[in-house]
Amino acid sequence: MIKRLLLLVVVLAMVAAACGGDGAEETTTTTAAEDTGGQVAGDGVLAEVQSRGVLNCGVNNEVFGFGYVDADGNFAGLDIDYCRAVAAAVLGDAEAVEYKALTAQQRFTALQAGEIDVLIRNTTWTASRDGKEGGTFLTTTFYDGQGMMVKTDSGIGSIEDMANTTVCVQSGTTTELNLASRFAAGGLPYTPLTFDSNDELRPAFVADQCDGWTSDKSQLAAFRSQNPDADGGPEAWTILAETFSKEPLGPMVRDGDTQWAQVVDWVVFATIQAEEFGLDSTNVANYSGDNPEILRFLGKEVGDPPTVFDPGLGLPTDFAEQVISQVGNYAEIYNRNVGPDTALGLERGVNELWTRGGLLYPPPYR
Amino acid sequence: MAVQTDTAAVHRESPAVRWAKENLFSTWYNSLLTLIFGALFVWLGFSVIRWVFFEAEWEIVRVNLTLFMVGRFPREELARVWVSNFLIAGAIGLMAGAAAASAAAAAKEAGLPFTQSTPRNWLQRFWPILLLVVILLQFSQTWTPTVLTLVTIAIGVGARYVGLHLPRAVRRWAWLIVVVMLIGAYGALSWFGGVKWDSWGGLHLTLFVTVAGIVLAFPLGLLLALGRRSSLPLVRMLSVGYIEFIRGVPLITLLLMGIFALGFLLPPGVDPSDVTRLIVAITLFTAAYVAENVRGGLQAVPKGQTEAGQALGLSPWKVMRLIVLPQALRAVIPAMVGQFISLFKDTSLLVVVGIVELLQVSSIANNQPEFLGRGLAEVTLPFVALIYWVGSYTMSRESRRLEKKLGVGER
Repeated sequence: MIKRLLLLVVVLAMVAAACGGDGAEETTTTTAAEDTGGQVAGDGVLAEVQSRGVLNCGVNNEVFGFGYVDADGNFAGLDIDYCRAVAAAVLGDAEAVEYKALTAQQRFTALQAGEIDVLIRNTTWTASRDGKEGGTFLTTTFYDGQGMMVKTDSGIGSIEDMANTTVCVQSGTTTELNLASRFAAGGLPYTPLTFDSNDELRPAFVADQCDGWTSDKSQLAAFRSQNPDADGGPEAWTILAETFSKEPLGPMVRDGDTQWAQVVDWVVFATIQAEEFGLDSTNVANYSGDNPEILRFLGKEVGDPPTVFDPGLGLPTDFAEQVISQVGNYAEIYNRNVGPDTALGLERGVNELWTRGGLLYPPPYR
Repeated sequence: MAVQTDTAAVHRESPAVRWAKENLFSTWYNSLLTLIFGALFVWLGFSVIRWVFFEAEWEIVRVNLTLFMVGRFPREELARVWVSNFLIAGAIGLMAGAAAASAAAAAKEAGLPFTQSTPRNWLQRFWPILLLVVILLQFSQTWTPTVLTLVTIAIGVGARYVGLHLPRAVRRWAWLIVVVMLIGAYGALSWFGGVKWDSWGGLHLTLFVTVAGIVLAFPLGLLLALGRRSSLPLVRMLSVGYIEFIRGVPLITLLLMGIFALGFLLPPGVDPSDVTRLIVAITLFTAAYVAENVRGGLQAVPKGQTEAGQALGLSPWKVMRLIVLPQALRAVIPAMVGQFISLFKDTSLLVVVGIVELLQVSSIANNQPEFLGRGLAEVTLPFVALIYWVGSYTMSRESRRLEKKLGVGER
């Protein structure tokens, strides 16, 4: 018996030692990674991507309009187009992207572990995510907001009409928390009914198990526009006007590599700036005007003596032209994936240039 | 007069009617139960048939069939999948043929009767797979897959014929040919500018991971089981530690560790693909369970068997290989196959690490513009369930066949 106990102790000690050893090893490797991953020129993610020749992009594959896979296995969506834009800018080839489909739970871990170079997966920019998840959010590519959808014949005209109702909501997301805040603020008692995904939630809403369905407005719009006639068609459902949360969606990169963050930022700015300049994929290649700002933006010779403007971002001087000719400007990306002619059918709304009263405002390129 | 006719009818009633009377309508409450459940089954059957043939919109499966089968495998490289299928069919056929020939030869030598299996036997054994193939093919939009499937089957049958009639000297090396063909099947997919594991997907990847997991986990589990019963304390402790550690961790944790934590432990420059990491994780996991199954079998073999072997002067290795292991493994076939079936279904967990496996295709398909928001998961999920069921049920039937053949539960 004593012998056995001794054996047990020995085994436990070995396990503990093994665990300790692993832990120590892990810490040293992490520190090493931090040491080399910083600001040393030519040693950051940008250089890594360029030497690899392909961009590892963390995306969604289950949200129509932002990241989904078609029957032929190709990725498509607004987020996907931004992966392609970054690849076009950095590598000159929009197709040089390795997509890694990630779940909501694993996306930040994948970014921290270096499995991906950039996360573009309909991720809401929040303070705690910026602070705690080891990454930095960059320029927002789509301003979403949470809304409420009800049956048109229910007589509900605003959130205030929804006291003592049941609301269907996706579990474990900020959506659920926003719902609670909004109804608490209005002093409205309600019963939440939670589901894992909107696909599972839909039948419950159809079957009148809940009076309201809350989610990002882009998603509600998609489900509404696709509602089959058997369930009453789009007209049977109404999305209330109120938007009760801010959901800025945009790319995220690992903390500690400013150069790479600036690169991704300026790729997003370039798509917006192109729309402001009136440049799109059809006319950018044969731009023949003499607007110095546009010439500078496209990396053409400008001024006297003629010089090519290089802002020192680490990108090729013609990166904007590559992005616009291969992927398009913001309007093209928006309309192709979520615009009025798609299943989502979203008007530009706040996702409009600042010159037309929207929130898109790129800093000057000079 | 009328009474007489009745009695005559009773005497002439068919065995089926008599069986029904004895088993279904023996008492009034049995009759009641029969009626209730009969009505329930008829209603269920009717509903299922109505749904399958008239209500369900199978368009989503039809359009996405390739995605279900091979995931994001590049469409211009699909010919590779078929070439690899041909090679696998050839290998299986050759192996079956050679095995049947060996069995026949052995039976002849021992003077025992031996009956060759007929196409009818094969149909009885593999009808679920055949049914699935027919269902899949009727979803395809062109005739090409049907023709290629027929070619695959023809190659399998042809290879079996070749295997049956191989000269004895060659037959001994048939396994080597089979292994070369299987490596070739992998090579057809991946070599010469082919498609790396990380781009595989769908049912194809599910089957690949399952087979790789079984093939790798079985020997490892066997070694661990022997290690756990070893008289060397270090070997025993390591085996026990490994088994108990792995069994204490959920598979999903191991998968996530394989993807995210392995990078910190490996030397820089070593970067195995995601699928490699996942196969390693699944193998390590399954091996621990296989080890415990095998250990159960080893304990079921009476000590007298070992001692008898030793008394004959056999080496410990030979005692294990010739006497103990055959009896031990035979006893644990049901448990082991159960483990492999669960491995097959566990591959659906690959979804958590972003692999496009069979189950995830269902939700991917439901987020395509033409199918979005139409509640078509009620179509895609039963389809995926059918595929899993056919795989699991076939494994289960083959296990029972093996048990019968080896007389498990009879001795």
